[in-house]
This record gives sequence, structure tokens and C-alpha cells, in this order.
Amino acid sequence: MRLYWELARRQFQQQLAYRTANLAGLVTNAFFGYIRAAILLAAFAGQGTIVGYDARDVVTYTWVTQALIMIVSLWGWFDVEKTIRDGSVVSDLSKPFSYLGYWLARDYGRSVYFLLFRCLPVLLVGQLTYGLRWPSSPFTWLLVLVSVALAVTVSFGWRFLINLTAFWTTDTRGLASITGAAVLFLSGFTLPVRLFPDWLRPIVQALPFVSITQIPCDIFLEQYHGAALVRLLGQQALWATGMLGLAQLLVWRATRRVVIQGG
Amino acid sequence: MAAHVMDAARRLAGALSGAIALYGHLVGAQARSQMQYRLSFLMTVAGAFAGNIIDFAAVAIILQRVPRLAGWSLGEVALLYGMSGLSFSVAELFAASLDNFDRFIVAGTFDRVLTRPLGALFQAMTEDFRLHRFGRLAQGVAVFAIAQQLLAIPWSAARVAVLVLALVGGFGIYFSIFVLGAVFCFWTVQGKEATHVLTYGGDFFASYPLDLYRGWLRRFFTFIVPLAFVNYYPALYLLGRADPLGLPLWTQLLSPVVASIMALVAWRAWAMGMRRYQSTGT
Repeated sequence: MRLYWELARRQFQQQLAYRTANLAGLVTNAFFGYIRAAILLAAFAGQGTIVGYDARDVVTYTWVTQALIMIVSLWGWFDVEKTIRDGSVVSDLSKPFSYLGYWLARDYGRSVYFLLFRCLPVLLVGQLTYGLRWPSSPFTWLLVLVSVALAVTVSFGWRFLINLTAFWTTDTRGLASITGAAVLFLSGFTLPVRLFPDWLRPIVQALPFVSITQIPCDIFLEQYHGAALVRLLGQQALWATGMLGLAQLLVWRATRRVVIQGG
Repeated sequence: MAAHVMDAARRLAGALSGAIALYGHLVGAQARSQMQYRLSFLMTVAGAFAGNIIDFAAVAIILQRVPRLAGWSLGEVALLYGMSGLSFSVAELFAASLDNFDRFIVAGTFDRVLTRPLGALFQAMTEDFRLHRFGRLAQGVAVFAIAQQLLAIPWSAARVAVLVLALVGGFGIYFSIFVLGAVFCFWTVQGKEATHVLTYGGDFFASYPLDLYRGWLRRFFTFIVPLAFVNYYPALYLLGRADPLGLPLWTQLLSPVVASIMALVAWRAWAMGMRRYQSTGT
């Protein structure tokens, strides 16, 4: 366990070096957040409550999704695919720890960095420019943290699966490109899933992707209480476990495939 | 006199066709290599298409719930969205290579460019051509077609002229912004992502009616970074709408003028940056 903790810590520290890059990313995330919030605000202005959100809810929703981008790596992530392409995956696989655990720990380290240095500043900009609806109790904050951790896990599992396809195909980038666009839409990033047409909503809600942004956002907004809340977190936990299980299965299969060319 | 002009024109045409042939040659090689992985290529095109169309899908979904967005119907937003998308995607096709200019400088590749007997900007543009960017263009075409379907604009010669000039002007404005983004790297190679606010963010901003935004933001993108002339003012003309900012009617026809000014600014800035450039030495 200590090893994974150390891996996560290292990754966190590594990120600390990119201060200017993070600031530039922050500016970009905040700008897009500002525009996206303006669009939804214009739509909701004077409309009262639509599908359970009022104007302030939907503005907050938008800023929370912007704040989550880097935490759950919505813009694509090819770290594993690169090691498969350049062959360094072989040394990673032969190290005496879980290959999946190695990458998961590093991804947690990365996401904690972005939680502190990207997510919170983006929310602050949202507060200063629009005024957000903040969680009303420390308990909600705790639930938000749990939900975001599960969101990272689900998102990681999915990205990891896509990356692992590089063992079998040279088309991983293409696959990542098209699934990446799908995830943006199906996770509720582009628009809250509750606004989707009636025929589409149940399908999208049954998919794993709402665990990546829709659910953490709704928990932040305190949209659910009691049993419904527990069910949402349970849904996330289930998908997190499922994704990691599937990922581990694929790692085993891939390991059997690896042929090391000496030389 | 006339002979002189003819001669100059012929030489210019010669240089231009030479540049186009060279561009085709440099870019064609990259395009062919990217087509090698056929399935991956098709998926990245589809991904670029889908990644941009989902934002329009979001507007369409919102406008099922509410009748209008800041007074604009779905067809009208589609017109703005499609016009900006068309101008931007063509500019991106040619200029997005400049978006990697920071890496280009850090890796020292730019020094190699400077030793060649060709324009540095031209070479920087051709360094990283990506065929899949046609996906974004397809998205612009699709949304523009939707706008035409919903609005049935009565196309007259004047309207067609305004549209064409707006698209060309929009291309010029976005292209200039990409160049300015590269110029940014002459001063610092860090924080390049912030220039996305004006490139990708610019397209995103301009895809929606200006009426959504607060006064200061609207003025900034009208008078300082003139994205309003990419599509908003020409669209007002095409739709016969009054300008909520109350600018005179002829501002709706200014796109080509504004684009020329932007191009001049970008050209001067690039020249200034080139004078300033010192290799990283790595």
C-alpha cells in the first residue's frame, strides 16, 4: 500500500512543476466556463425551474463541470498507450506491483493536484463572475469528495481500457477520439442529462458515463437526499468496481500477448 | 504601363502557384501517411465531427425546452454557429500547426526552418498538418445546412456576396489569431494553452448570439478582438435584424475590412517576433 501512496505522491509532485501551464489551462477553463454559463443562463432566465434546476443551479452545474475537466481527464489521456507504443510497457509489467494499481495510484495523484490547483480556482472564478450555489453543509462537501473520487475511478477505468486496446490495434487514437466526444455528451458535461429528450435520458442514465460528471454535479447541488443519494453513490461505486475489474481482466489477457523482442 | 502591371501580375501568379504546389507537396505527404491507418483515420475524422457537433446538439436540446435563446431561434443560432464553424475550421486546417509553435521552438526545430530558403511562417504552417481536421469542417457544413433548412433565407446576389465575404473575412480573422498565438511563443513558450481562449474559445464564443454576453465582453469581441465580424454582423444583415448595440447598418458589411486589419496586425507582430527570436540553444 505504501508503494502506491508513494507513486501517487510522486505524480502529485511532478505536476507541481507545471505552474505556468496550469495557470494557462485555468484561464482557458474559466473562459469557457464563463461562455457556457452565459448560454445556459440566457436559456433559463425568466423560466423558473426546468427539470428541477433553476438559473443558479444550472450556472453552478456548468462551472462544476468545467472544474472537473482536468480531474477526470475529459480532454483525452494517452499515458498508457504511449508506453505500449514505445515498448516501455514491458518494464512496467515486469515490476513487482500491480500494473493496474500502478497507473491508478498515479492517476489519483494527478487528480488530487488538479482538485487543489485547478478545480478550486475555477470554482472561485465562477463565484466571482456569476455567484454559485455552494453546498449548504460540510456533510455535502464530504459526499462531493467521495463522489469525485469515484468519478475519477470510473473515468480512469474507461480511459485505461481504451488505452489498453493499443495491445491489439493501431487504431487507439481514433477510438479515443470518437469515444472522447461521446463521453463529453453522455457524461452530462455538455448539458445536464436531465434536459435530454425523454427517449434518450433513460438510456444515458443506464450508462457508466453519468458517474463521471452528472452525479458529482448533482450531489454538489444537493439535488438528491436520503435513499436516492445513496443509490447514486452506489451506482458510481458499482461502475468503478466494474471498470477496474474489466481493466484487470484485460491486463491479464494483454500480458499473455506481450512478446518481448530481444535485441 | 499596362505591360508592367501584366508582368507583375504574372510573376505574382507564378509565385503563388509555386507556393500552392509546394504546400500541396509538403502537406500531401503527411496526409498520405495519416491515411495509412484507414480505420483510425476515419475515427479521428468522426471524432472531430462529433466533438464539435455535440455543442450544437446541446443548443438544439435547450431550444426544445425554451422557445428562444436571448431572442434567437434555433435556425438563427445555427446560422451563427455554422458561419463561425466554416470560417474557423478552414483557418484551423491551415493554421493549427501554429498551435504547436511552442513545442516547435523548445525542440529547436524552428532553427532548422530558419536555415531553409522559404518563409518561416509558411514552413511553420506546414509542419503539422492533420487531415482529421476535415471533421470540424464537415460539422460546420452540416450546421450551416440545418440553418438553411430552418430559415429558408431568400438568397439574393447581395446576400450571397455578404455571406461569401463574411466567410472569407472570418477565415482571415481566425487565421490571424492563430498567427498571433504563435507570436506569443516568441515571448514565452510557457502557457501556450491560454491562447486557446482566442482560437478555440473564439470560435466557441462566436457560435452564439452576442446578445447573450454582458456589455464588456461584447465590446471586447467587437472592438478589440473583432470576432463579431466573423458572423454576428453579417448574420444580422442576412436575417434583416437590427443591431442591439445600435451601430450603423454599414458595420454589418465590414468583415473584409476588419479581417484585412487583423491580417496586417498579425503580419507585423510576426515580423516583430522574428526579429526578437533567439534560439533556445538546446
